[in-house]
Amino acid sequence: METQTDSGTNVGLTRRDVLRAAAAGLVIGTGLLVVPKRYFRLPQQAQTFVAKVDHYQFDIAGVLTLGMMELGISRKELQGKRILLKPNLVETASGAPHINTHPLVLRGAIEAFLRLGAATVMVAEGPGHRRDTLAVYEESGLADVLTEDRITFHDLNYITGYELPNAGSQTTMKTLTFPGLFQEVDWIVSMAKLKTHHWTGATLSMKNLFGVMPGLYYGWPKNVLHKVGIQNSILDINATLKPHFAIVDGIIGMEGDGPIMGSPKQVGVLVMGRNLPAVDATCCRIMGIDPYKVSYLERADNWLGPIGERSIEQRGETIASVQTNFELIDTIPAQQGIRLT
Amino acid sequence: MGSSSLRTLGSAALLRRALPSGEFSGRPGGQFQVDSTAWGILALTACDGSAELLDQSRHLLMREQLLDGRLCVNKTHPASYWPTSLAILAWQDSQSCSEAQQRAIRFLLDTTGFHFPRESDAPSAHDSQLKGWPWVDETHSWVEPTAMSVMALRATGYGRHDRVQEAVHMLLDRQLPHGGWNYGNTLVFGKELHPMPESTGAALAGLAGDVDRKKVARSLDYLQGEVDRLRTPISLGWALLGLAAWRMAPPNAATLVERCLANQKRYGEYETSALCLLVLGALAMEMGGQIPLLTASVYKGLPLALTQ
Repeated sequence: METQTDSGTNVGLTRRDVLRAAAAGLVIGTGLLVVPKRYFRLPQQAQTFVAKVDHYQFDIAGVLTLGMMELGISRKELQGKRILLKPNLVETASGAPHINTHPLVLRGAIEAFLRLGAATVMVAEGPGHRRDTLAVYEESGLADVLTEDRITFHDLNYITGYELPNAGSQTTMKTLTFPGLFQEVDWIVSMAKLKTHHWTGATLSMKNLFGVMPGLYYGWPKNVLHKVGIQNSILDINATLKPHFAIVDGIIGMEGDGPIMGSPKQVGVLVMGRNLPAVDATCCRIMGIDPYKVSYLERADNWLGPIGERSIEQRGETIASVQTNFELIDTIPAQQGIRLT
Repeated sequence: MGSSSLRTLGSAALLRRALPSGEFSGRPGGQFQVDSTAWGILALTACDGSAELLDQSRHLLMREQLLDGRLCVNKTHPASYWPTSLAILAWQDSQSCSEAQQRAIRFLLDTTGFHFPRESDAPSAHDSQLKGWPWVDETHSWVEPTAMSVMALRATGYGRHDRVQEAVHMLLDRQLPHGGWNYGNTLVFGKELHPMPESTGAALAGLAGDVDRKKVARSLDYLQGEVDRLRTPISLGWALLGLAAWRMAPPNAATLVERCLANQKRYGEYETSALCLLVLGALAMEMGGQIPLLTASVYKGLPLALTQ
């Protein structure tokens, strides 16, 4: 598997980074603390693309193709590449299709990647709550779509893993075990759902990658990751795996007590980009959430990617044109005080 | 489909996953996996498989045991010790494996995972101090590994042990108020979570013989209401095992199993542990409540009622 590079990110300096650098210098001057290396990095920039898509019967493949081209993804770049799409399939419940990434968004992404020259596209997921991945695959409607499109689905929970040193070092985990399948693909695409979350405030493309960690080694739920800290684990997984692209299904999202028990929220957007923190920060702003108040995003800022509004070049629709406040629940600590003001 | 044809079919499907040296792979043509081998032994035993092959498989499983008695997904991941309970069942009735089995039992009895007192404002409603067993070392107790461990320890004569009794209590505590179980959370931030057929089947199989039917009546109702729509082997296998343990075999079980087997055209060949669960669930129905998972146990031949 190729590793993600910083291509698509540019160098610039934000006020926030100047303040950070100044603070770091102050601390070093006093000789009191060791400052994380990331504070000395020049600030990153990234691009995200926001598309208005009112419903799932829309030409999603067309929108995603356009968005990827706007983000500088060319046929030359994708030619011959093996693409793995990782949706957010958690569990299913009657009347709650808004829990999972919609199958028609997956179909659109498959078509878009193939149009842009990808050699193969596959879909893979390892749900955290259900041992029976096939049941979620079936009941979410994804099986119908992928069977019709003759696209392979892989259950990541039962694939023998390979270890990588933990490149994030935010948890006590020395290594992370990923599914062996990842050694056979070129691009990993996080295809998340636009949702609030009762432990992390929001669950988007970065948090979605919990689902790549095989249940064989991490259990159901993936309690190893909870035990060492959900926010820390999100950072470690993203820093180590280095995913290549993100697409967030915000046509109908989830507000309130996400990621399972919340209410559907019609937003009518697809958000995409090469840099996951930037995509998630844009999603947060669309949801009326301050990304700097979401702990893992604040800590990812200018390390795994930029989350500052000025550091993210917005393509397609403006955030203001699609922004709609998601319900936040006062009694849920992770959702307290995160409203964008 | 009769029990004879099911045994033949199950054996044939399983033997395609048996490697030359006797281990089982996760899928046909795949590599050795500990959990697949343990499940394979259980299912093949229930299908009256070759004693020679079973003996070979059991001994190969012994090679995977660590000094402290645990069996892990693989030796490079010693924390993932959830296959230990499966191995205990797989070694049942094998004299030459009894020492290994006793060490595995001792490991389970001495191992608790991570537990903590529940604070009054905790977001999760369950009693986090009650000990069952986790999937992975130093994590919390969850429903399926606890149910499996209870079955393994009960099958080997430890049903009255304090750890088993506490685990039974833990499973009841994790039962959802409206019936059923999921992976092991009941209410979070005041909202009752959704039940799942596979977790419910596992919990019911684990509790059968230890608790009064009234205590699980809602869960039995939930699972009975679900079973007709189940199309996948883990959910259907555990649902049939759970219902069989309480003598509630659905009359159309054979049709459901056939439909599930046919779905391999859609999903591809099932993973070995999933296939084994389906075979065991189907045989449980055929055998009038005798759970094949436990037929190689001390309760072999005894009516289920005697264990209650």
